[in-house]
Amino acid sequence: MSYVRIENINKSYQQQKVLNDISFSIEEGQFLTLLGPSGCGKSTLLRAIAGLNEIDSGSISVGDRNITALPSKERQIGMVFQSYALFPNMTVFENIAFGLKMDKMKKSEYTPLVEEMIALIDLKGKENRYPAQLSGGQQQRVALARSLVKRPKVLLLDEPLSALDAQIRRSLRTEIRLLQKRLKMTTIFVTHDQEEALTVSDRIIIMNQGRIEQEGSPEDIYTHPASEFVARFIGSYNVLKRSDIGLDSLPDTELFAVRPEVISIAPLAEAPVAELGTATIEGKVEQLYILGNVIRFTVSAGGLDILVDALNNSTVHRIQEGMDVRLFLPADKCEPLRQ
Amino acid sequence: MKPKTSGKSDGRKWHGTVLGVLLVYLFLPVAGTLLFSLARQWQDGILPDGYTLQWYGSIFTDGRFLAAVGRTLLVGVITVIVTLALMVPVIFVLNVYFPKWERLLQISVLLPFAFPPVVSAIGLIKMYSSGPVAITGTVWILIGVYFIMIQPFIYQSVRNSLSTINAKDLVEAAEMLGASRMAAFRRVILPNILPGTLVASLLSFSMIFGEFVMSRMLVGGQFETVQMYLYNQMNTSGQAASAVVVTYFALILVLSGLVLKLGAWKPKGYRSAQVEEE
Ligand SMILES: Nc1ncnc2c1ncn2[C@@H]1O[C@H](COP(=O)(O)OP(=O)(O)O)[C@@H](O)[C@H]1O
Ligand SMILES: [Mg+2]
Repeated sequence: MSYVRIENINKSYQQQKVLNDISFSIEEGQFLTLLGPSGCGKSTLLRAIAGLNEIDSGSISVGDRNITALPSKERQIGMVFQSYALFPNMTVFENIAFGLKMDKMKKSEYTPLVEEMIALIDLKGKENRYPAQLSGGQQQRVALARSLVKRPKVLLLDEPLSALDAQIRRSLRTEIRLLQKRLKMTTIFVTHDQEEALTVSDRIIIMNQGRIEQEGSPEDIYTHPASEFVARFIGSYNVLKRSDIGLDSLPDTELFAVRPEVISIAPLAEAPVAELGTATIEGKVEQLYILGNVIRFTVSAGGLDILVDALNNSTVHRIQEGMDVRLFLPADKCEPLRQ
Repeated sequence: MKPKTSGKSDGRKWHGTVLGVLLVYLFLPVAGTLLFSLARQWQDGILPDGYTLQWYGSIFTDGRFLAAVGRTLLVGVITVIVTLALMVPVIFVLNVYFPKWERLLQISVLLPFAFPPVVSAIGLIKMYSSGPVAITGTVWILIGVYFIMIQPFIYQSVRNSLSTINAKDLVEAAEMLGASRMAAFRRVILPNILPGTLVASLLSFSMIFGEFVMSRMLVGGQFETVQMYLYNQMNTSGQAASAVVVTYFALILVLSGLVLKLGAWKPKGYRSAQVEEE
C-alpha cells in the first residue's frame, strides 16, 4: 500500500468544478511534482491535502491514518508557501522554533534541533536576523527549515520558487532536492514550470482543468506525452494529424507528437529519396534561428508550421529562409496521442 | 535660460507668501488665546498690561476642572478599550476566515458618517430616553456614541495592518505548524498590528477629548466633560477659558507627537531592512 493515498477528490467553487475526481498515490520518500498551467487547480489540491480547504468528497490518507476530517494542525503535514509567510516579528531562530514551541517542547529540547536545521540550510550566523533583513532565497530557506524541523510526514511546497529570480531559482531547487533526499522526506511540489518539474522530480503528475492528464517519471513524460495537451505543455512538440504524416505503418490513432530533433531536413533540390518507414513532407523555410550548435527551422507545409531542430553542419548550413525543403519523419519516432 | 530661473524664483516667492499667510491665519488665534490666558488685564492696548499665571493657577486648583478632565479621560479610555476589544477580533476573523463578509462590515462602519451629529443626537435621545434601555443623560450613552464615532478609524487602521502583513498566509502557516487559532492570533498577528492600532487609538482618544456636540446634547450638565467645562467657563471668565483652551492644545500636541513617533515606529523585524545578497 502506498504511503500517501488521495482518492476521488472533488471540489467545486460555485458552479465551477475545480478538482474532478482526482486520485493518486505517493511512496514514502518520493518527490512528486504537480505540474500544470495556472488556474488548473494545483493549489486547491495542495491546500485540500493540508486541510486548509474543505473538499466536497474523497479521502486522504497518510501511512495508516485517514486524515480527511482532521484539522490542519493535527495532520502532521508541513507546508511552504509561495509568499514565504515568515513571521515578521520573529527572528530566523524564533521562526524555525515556532512549530516546536507549539508542541510544548522546552527551550533546552528544541534549541539543538533548530540549530541543526539552521546549519542544514546554511544560515549559520544569521539566527538573530529578522525576515526583512534576508534576501528572498534566504527567506524561502527559512520557511523550508521551519516546516522540516517538525519532521512532518509529508512536505507540501506550493510554487516555492516562483517569486525568486532565475539564477537563485535554479540553485535553490537543487538544494531543495538534495535536502529532500537526505531527509527522505515525502514531498509534493507544485509548479507551472515544466523545466523545474523535469529536473527535480521522481514522478510528475500533469494537471489540466482539474483533471489528471498524465502521470509518470520525468523521462516518460518527456519522451511519451500521452495527450495533445501534454505534448504542447511539456515542450516544443509538433502535433501532427495522421493525414499530415501519411504513412500506413503508423499506430491506429488520429494525432501524433513529433519532437523537432527527430525530423531531418534537406534542400529539396538535392534531397535523397525516403527510406522505408519514413514519411516525407515538403515545405518552405519561413524562419531560422541559431541556438548555439543547433539551428531551429520553422517550415510551413500546406498550412502547417513544423519545427525542426538540426545540428549545425555543412549541409544544413546552406539552407536559408525562403528555400524549398524536404522533411523526413521516422514513423517509430511519431508518438501516438490520446484525444 | 534666465526667464525660466526668474520664473522659478517668482514661483518660490509666491509659494512662501501663501504659506506665510496661511500659517499666520492658522496660528494667530492660538497665539492670541495664549496671550489672553497669560494677561493680567487686556483692555485697550495692542498688548496686555501685564502677565500672570493666575488663570492657570485658578483652573488647576479648581476641583471642577480636574473632575472634568478626569471624566473625559475615563470616557476616552473606556471607549477606546471597549472598541478595540470588540473590533479587533471581528475584523481579524472576517479578514482571514470570511473575506466575503468584510464588505458588509465596511459599509456598517462608515454609515455614521452619513448623518450630521445633531441629527444622530436627536435620534439617539428619542431612542434611549425611555423603554428598556433608558440611558439618555448617563455616561453610558456617551460611551456608546463615541464607540460609533471612532470605529471607522480603528477599522481602517486594523484592516490596513492586516493586509500589509498578509494575515491570512501567516495564520495558515502558524496553523500548519501546530498553532491553535488563538495562538496564531496572539503570537503572530497581534504583535504585527500593534503599532498601527496604537496610532489609531491615540487619534480616537484625542477626538473624544475634543468632542462637544454629543456630550452637550446627550448628557448635558449631569456629566461635565472638558469641553462642557470650557463652554461653561466662557460665560464666566474669558481668560480662564483661554487657559483651558491652551492646556487642551498642549495636550493634543503631545498626543500628536506620540502618534507621529509611533507611526514611524515599526516592530523590530521591519527595522533597517538591510538585505544582503547571497
Ligand atoms: N476561494 C475561491 N473561490 C472561488 N474560486 C476559486 C477559489 N480559489 C480558487 N478558485 C478557482 O479555482 C481554480 C483553480 O485555482 P488554483 O487551485 O489556485 O489554481 P493553480 O494553483 O493551479 O493556479 C481557478 O479557476 C480559481 O479561479
Ligand atoms: Mg497556485
